[in-house]
Amino acid sequence: MYDPTSAAPALGRRTLLAGAAALGAGSLAAPYVSRAHADEPIRIGLLLAKTGDIAPQTEYLANGTYLALAERDGKIGGKPVELVWLDEPSPQGAQQNFQKLAQENKVVAILGGALSSSALAEEATAANLKLPMVIDNAAATDITGKNCNKYTFRLNTPVAVQARMFAPYALNYGKKWYFLTASYAFGQDINKSFHELLAKAGGTVAGNDEVPLNTPDYSSFILKIRQAQPDVVLGGVPAGDLSTFLKQWNELGMRGKIPVCEIAIGDTDIWAVGPQAATGTYTSLWWYKNPANPPEEVKFTQDYQAKYGKPPADKAWMGWITARSLFESIEKAKSMEPLAIVEALENWRGGSADNPYLYRKEDHQFLLKNLVVQVKDKITDQWDYFDVKATVPEKTADLDALFGSPEANGCKMSSS
Amino acid sequence: MLDLILSQVANGLVLGGLYVLIAIGLSIIFGLLGIVNFAHGAFFAIGAYFALTLYNVAGWWAVIFAPILVGALGMVVERVLIHRLYDKEPLVSLIVTFALALMIEATIRLIWGGIGLPFNPPPLFAGFFIWGPVLITKYRTAVFMTTVLLLIGLWAFMRYTPFGRILRAGSRDPEMVGLLGINLPVLLTAVFGLGCAIAGIAGVLAAPLWTIIPSMSAGAIMPAFVVVTIGGLGSFPGAVIAGLLVGIVTTLTIQFWPEASGAVMYVFMALILLVRPRGLLGERWERFE
Repeated sequence: MYDPTSAAPALGRRTLLAGAAALGAGSLAAPYVSRAHADEPIRIGLLLAKTGDIAPQTEYLANGTYLALAERDGKIGGKPVELVWLDEPSPQGAQQNFQKLAQENKVVAILGGALSSSALAEEATAANLKLPMVIDNAAATDITGKNCNKYTFRLNTPVAVQARMFAPYALNYGKKWYFLTASYAFGQDINKSFHELLAKAGGTVAGNDEVPLNTPDYSSFILKIRQAQPDVVLGGVPAGDLSTFLKQWNELGMRGKIPVCEIAIGDTDIWAVGPQAATGTYTSLWWYKNPANPPEEVKFTQDYQAKYGKPPADKAWMGWITARSLFESIEKAKSMEPLAIVEALENWRGGSADNPYLYRKEDHQFLLKNLVVQVKDKITDQWDYFDVKATVPEKTADLDALFGSPEANGCKMSSS
Repeated sequence: MLDLILSQVANGLVLGGLYVLIAIGLSIIFGLLGIVNFAHGAFFAIGAYFALTLYNVAGWWAVIFAPILVGALGMVVERVLIHRLYDKEPLVSLIVTFALALMIEATIRLIWGGIGLPFNPPPLFAGFFIWGPVLITKYRTAVFMTTVLLLIGLWAFMRYTPFGRILRAGSRDPEMVGLLGINLPVLLTAVFGLGCAIAGIAGVLAAPLWTIIPSMSAGAIMPAFVVVTIGGLGSFPGAVIAGLLVGIVTTLTIQFWPEASGAVMYVFMALILLVRPRGLLGERWERFE
C-alpha cells in the first residue's frame, strides 16, 4: 500500500521535469503512426476555425468535406470514417489541437488550415509529428515555399502565383495603385507580391496602408484613398473584413468610382456585402456557375444544393476536393502509414482533360487554373454575383511555369 | 494635409458616437447594477440579427422593434441568471457573462448560420454631406444624431424621473431603498433590459455598416470596455467623452500610422489610467474598493 509518510525516495521535481521533457522529446522525434485497431473507424482530423471572421468560410469548407464523405457512404476501403473537427483559435491553439488530434484522437491525416497564420504553425507540427496534412484554404506563399515539408500538401494557389495571374487584369485599370492589406501573413504576402509586380510594370504606389485584422470601421482608410485618387485599390483584407470594407466603400459613395481588386477571396465575402454594395474584380479557384465545370463538379453543385438548400461557395468546393483527394489516396494506399498516404497523395490526379489538377510532387502544391471573376453590374439572384472574365493560364502546359519551380519558391523538401 | 486631418477628426467624432452608443448600455448596467456584462457585445449582435430578420417582415419598423425585443430578452436573462450575481464577487459576474456571450454567439450561429448576411442603409440615408474638406455620410450623421438624442433622453430620465432617482439610490444602497417599500428587484430587471436594449439599438444601427456575422460581438465589446474604462466605470458623461476621444485618436492614427490603429485605443487607455486610475470621470465605487 502506498504510504505518503514513508521514507522511500520521493519523485523530485527536477526528476519529474526531466522525465516529462524526455517523454515530450520522444513523442516529437518519433514518426506518428495511428494505432487504430481493425474494428475501429478511420479517424481523420478536421482543423478549421469555428469562430472569428474566417468562420463563414470554414462553414463551407466543412460542408464540402462532409459531402465528399457522404458521397462515399462514409467509408474508405469499406471501413467507416469518423471526422473529428477541432478549432483553430490562434496559431498556438491550432498547434495544440493538431497534437490533440494526432495523439488523443489518433487520426491518420488532417484536413484544414483556414488562415495562413494558423496553417504555417500547423504545417510545422505536421512535419514534427510526421502526420499528413492537406491545407484546404490558406494561401501564404511560404506554406509550399520555404516552409514546405514532406507531410504537408496545399490546395490554394499561393499568393505570389495568384498575384502573377491577376496583375495584368489589375493593370488594365491603371498603374497607380493604393494598397490596403491586412497586417498578418496573408496581407503582407499580397503586399510584397503586388509591389514587385507593380514596380516591374512601371507603376506607382498611391498609398500603402496595413490594416489590423478585424477592423470594424474602414471609413478613415477610405477617406485616405479618396484623397489619393488611385487608379485601383489593391486589397488584401480577408473574409469578413473585406465584406465590411466593401459595405463602407459603398456607403462613402466610392463604389463605381475606383475599381477594387483582390486575390484569394471567398464567395461568402461578397455574398455578405449584398447586391447594393458588392463590387470588384477578384481571383477565385472555382465558381459554381462556371460553364467550364466538368460533370462531376456539376453533380457536386446539385448535391450540395439539395443538401444545404443553397449553392456551394468556392470554399465548399475547396473542402470537397481536398477531402476527395485525401480519401481516395488513403484508399489507394491501402495503409494508414503516413508515408504511404503521402506517396498516394503525390500520385493523385483529378479534374478534366481541359482542366486537370494534381499535387506537384516536389513541393506538394496543387496546380490548378484560376478564374478571374468580376462582380456583375446588376445582381438579380442572391447567390449569382460573378461573371467569369478569364481562366488563367489558358493552356495547361503553362501551369508549371506560372507556379514557379519549387527551387525558385524556396522549397527544399527532405525525403522523410 | 490639414484638410485631411480635419476630415479625419470629424470622422473620428462620428465613429466615437457609435462607440459611445455601444458603451453606454454597458456603463448603465455596471453603474446601476455593478455587473461587468461581458455579454454586452452579444446583445449588440442580437440587435443586428433581429433587425435583419424583422426587416423582411416589417420593413424599417424593424429598427424600433428589434431593440425592444433585445431589451425583453435581456430582462429574461436577468431574471434567470444575472440577479443571482448581485451579491457575488465582480469576477463571478465577468466569468458568467463571458460564458453567456459564448452561448449567445453559438445560438446565433445555430439559428442564422455562420456566413455573413447582407444589410445596407435605407435608401433615404444614401449619399453624404460635404462641408469643405469634411465628408460625412448621411447614414453616419443619422447614427450620430440618434446617439445624441438617446443620451439626452437617458440623462433626463435618470435625472428628473422618480424611476431614475430610485435607480440611482438603489445602486448605492439597495437595503435602504427596500426598506422604503420599493420593489428593487423588478427595477433592476428593468435596468438590465434597458442596457441590453441600448446595445440592441447600437447593433441595429451598426448592421448596415459592419458585416453581420456571429463574431461581430467581438468588434463591439472591446471598444465598449475601453470606452467605459477610460471614462470611469459607471460614469455616464465619462463614457461620452471617452467614446469621442477614442474615435478621434483611432482615426488620426489611421491617418499617420495605420498599422497601429487597432492597438491605439488600448495604449490610450493605459496612458489615461496611469494618470487617472479611476478613469476620466470615475467616482469612488464602494462595492469595488
